[in-house]
Amino acid sequence: MSLSTLEQGVVAQKRHRPTRFFSRLGPVLWVGPAVLLIAGVVLWPVVIMIETAFQNISPDGFIRGWAGWRNFVFLWQEPDLTGILVRTVIWVATIVVCTMLISLALAQLFNQKFPGRRAARWALIAPWAASVMMTAIVFRWGLDANNGVINVFLHDIGLLARFNSEASDWLGSPGSAFAWMIVVAIFVSVPFSTYALLAGLQSIPSDVYEAARVDGAGVWRTYLGITLPLLRPAFIVALLINVMNVFNSFPIIWEMTRGGPGHQTSTTTTFMYQLKQSYIGESAAMSVVNFGLVLLIVLVYLRVTVWKSGTAEP
Amino acid sequence: MRIACRPLFAGGMSAAFALTLGLFAAEPARADTVLTLVAADYGTGPADSSQIYWQKIADAFHAANPSITVKVQTVNWNDFDTKIQTMVQNRQYPDVTEGDYFSNYAQEGLLYKASDVLSDPSNLMPAFKTLGSYEGVQYGMPFTTSSRAMFYNKKLFAQAGIAAPPKTWDELMTDAGKIEALGKIGYGMPLGPEEAQAETFLWLLGNGGGFQTADGKWDINSPQNVETLDFMTKLVKAGDTEPNPGTKNRAVILEQFAQGQVGMLNGLTALLPIIKQAGVLKDSDWGTAPIAGKTGPLDTTLGVCDFIAAFKTDGSKQEAIKKFLDFAMQDQYQVDFAQEYNLLPGTTSGAAAFVKVDPALASFVDALPKAVQYPNSPVWAQVKTQIQQLIGTAIGPHPKAVLDSIQQTALKGS
Amino acid sequence: MSATTLRPKPWPWQRLVYAGLAYIVAAIFLLPYLEMIVSALRPANEMLARTYLPSHFDISAFFNIWKTGFGQHLRISLEVASGSTLLVLLVAIPAAYYTARQRFRGRGAFMLLVLVTQMFQPTAMLVGLYREFLDFGMLDSVVALILVNAGFNMAFAVWILNAYVSAIPAELEEAAFIDGSSRIGALFRITLPLALPGIVTALIFTFISAWNEFIVALTLTTSSATEPLTVALNSYIGQYQVDWSHLFAGSVIATIPVIILFALIEGKVVGGLTAGSIK
Repeated sequence: MSLSTLEQGVVAQKRHRPTRFFSRLGPVLWVGPAVLLIAGVVLWPVVIMIETAFQNISPDGFIRGWAGWRNFVFLWQEPDLTGILVRTVIWVATIVVCTMLISLALAQLFNQKFPGRRAARWALIAPWAASVMMTAIVFRWGLDANNGVINVFLHDIGLLARFNSEASDWLGSPGSAFAWMIVVAIFVSVPFSTYALLAGLQSIPSDVYEAARVDGAGVWRTYLGITLPLLRPAFIVALLINVMNVFNSFPIIWEMTRGGPGHQTSTTTTFMYQLKQSYIGESAAMSVVNFGLVLLIVLVYLRVTVWKSGTAEP
Repeated sequence: MRIACRPLFAGGMSAAFALTLGLFAAEPARADTVLTLVAADYGTGPADSSQIYWQKIADAFHAANPSITVKVQTVNWNDFDTKIQTMVQNRQYPDVTEGDYFSNYAQEGLLYKASDVLSDPSNLMPAFKTLGSYEGVQYGMPFTTSSRAMFYNKKLFAQAGIAAPPKTWDELMTDAGKIEALGKIGYGMPLGPEEAQAETFLWLLGNGGGFQTADGKWDINSPQNVETLDFMTKLVKAGDTEPNPGTKNRAVILEQFAQGQVGMLNGLTALLPIIKQAGVLKDSDWGTAPIAGKTGPLDTTLGVCDFIAAFKTDGSKQEAIKKFLDFAMQDQYQVDFAQEYNLLPGTTSGAAAFVKVDPALASFVDALPKAVQYPNSPVWAQVKTQIQQLIGTAIGPHPKAVLDSIQQTALKGS
Repeated sequence: MSATTLRPKPWPWQRLVYAGLAYIVAAIFLLPYLEMIVSALRPANEMLARTYLPSHFDISAFFNIWKTGFGQHLRISLEVASGSTLLVLLVAIPAAYYTARQRFRGRGAFMLLVLVTQMFQPTAMLVGLYREFLDFGMLDSVVALILVNAGFNMAFAVWILNAYVSAIPAELEEAAFIDGSSRIGALFRITLPLALPGIVTALIFTFISAWNEFIVALTLTTSSATEPLTVALNSYIGQYQVDWSHLFAGSVIATIPVIILFALIEGKVVGGLTAGSIK
């Protein structure tokens, strides 16, 4: 789409424009509602959130004036904060890395021709169609210390001695609970990433592979030298969406452990919600910190894409 | 008629018309009062939602008092406190609330006294008067109550060779150990975030401790309480309870007891229908006993109470509220509620009527007058949340640190 | 991906290996939901039994659940999801079209806004959302949920639609102008039909996202009468009991509209994502 074509289109439009005033109004009419909606529902809450973080709000919800930096100080003084921050980093890093690796492999697999491919691809949509909350509940049910189906299986193959024991209580101790929640998070993140990478794979023209084959490149060489670089745009998009989803992930932890015992399986997002029950100001402070981290990731993404492709927009 | 006069004539006619209408309309508009009732939802789903219960009363009340309409709104428990706070903050006061009672609303002069809106405030259970009072005056009116007792599985006890339910902590530990040997859970200890404060309180009482001293000072990290938590840790470490009690809510433990998997637990009347539904235990397979204390059984129990409160707003609806509350607190409705949700009534006459209908629960009702309650302090809500979230972590080598931090929350105030 | 005449045919066993692996993966992803269905079919007295399958299947939960007012929550979810989807399409299509075709002052800023806000999720600003709708007195309202869901899906829809419209040559519309059509006429008759895969993708994403949305609904609703499905199902986990059979039956029923939607538009989803990743 060349500029001249666009210009021609603009010229053509000019011919049919009733008045100049209407064309000035053009952006407002066409784009205005979208801006209004985003500003009202996405941006305004950020403003309120920042405001709340600096207010002194009684646990009953009455605003008692300004608190300066007090909420942030309280947040900083929370004894569990270090653990929560560390856990958040582990949570995001582990899930994203595992998801992207698995998705790369699965996209490659589902790109091949084999009988029943469509049906298999459809099965992959299941975690996406059911809500994350339901998936988390099913896993919690399956891990139940008393009668969860996973424990029944382990018992049948001899790995579990007794129900209602420490060993069968996967979600009771923070370590094993966190590990399982990571598994669930990977489980629900893989479908979207796989599909995004699959779309990317399908947009690679086959003659590229042809040329590589004619040049005598092996399977691995082709993958590393051709497929991956060409997958880059889709990969970065999937990576970014993954990081955002995982960082903000709430239902999994909430449904499986409520962040407990205490705050020992909490990430910054669930901790923010736990704080909301009593200390809204502190919860808002945690939200501001969370939001700051989100902005940071966005900035990193912008730098990477701008730097790589040389243009600032799609 | 002439054009110039027409508007004048039309205007005059419409004015007369409006005046006539106004005269007729004014009468019912002045007498029609609307009361808003915000109640907590005790049900598990829409089929047994408290909306149904209250709507029934509202409809019957409206039939008896056509000039007063009651609008019913139910809120689930997790959101109840916030909902009321929101309404108060926005100055859209509800007229009547049923659920938690807040002494700070009384403090701010927003509530009617119980004597202002009830014909017979002495019928309210006296045991819970202090909890609903501020500076000696009662504002919160007990609506529904519950008490605790120890439930034990007679069949498992017989199998394990235990003659009688334990009276002391040491006996409890021994007995729990014997039941564990059978491959079941000895003692079910729900310290999960749902209502950890109840289980904790019962244990603290067992050692003569509690959340406050007798004169209302916060005393959460007292030496007795630390000792209690040490014992609870010992019990858990010995494997006599379910694993990781800090992550187990009541629903799980109650269900497992109903399935015959648990030897004993501190339970409440809501357990009875769960046992019936599970269909595993016969009536003769389980029994109740006083809760075990360190040196002997408790002669008190934890009494929990939910309150009705009436907001003044502009003070114009006092009569209407009084009529409604007198109607709603009748014995039949008290018994209905108690039966629907497996709780106990909040009025003395209601309790007496209830015992006639459901004699099996007589011991729970009898325990109510001697019941001990949660602290009556504005900061209890925060302390409660802290206990719910953190007490599970007190089961471990350092219970004092956890109790210290909860004590700090209490002292920090609101 | 078509094979050229020079490419050797893959070994038949290679296909079988791929198929086998893919089926295993598919099974893994379906297993939890199978467990959900099986559990929903368990009779009440076998709910906590330590077996893989119950002795017999009991479908009563699927019928009883309607008596518990499930229909009301289903209706609310439908309202919220369709309302959000409609709003998103109504607002995003014009915005994406105009941005793709027209250079205007602020275009760059708008595209940046879209890009950046695409990353934001309601979870990160719950406190702000809660207080905002509290101030407007819009808690417990379907409108609030529609607005929030639409707002947060807007950026993705604009992004996808912009990519699609940009890929459609402007000459096609220009031809319509020469024939005397207005811009809006051209939009409807030429561009939209060609951009259909993108529209369908945006529609699906928004609908599913709004249908399965949990935390915002949890935060913005306080009474059970106004809860959508996700929050209502969560409340089957009660104080004294967990109503497992209704919980799972409800979850299964809640998945059906999504499956129907997928069946209607299958194939276009991957296409939609392709356009989005070509930048």
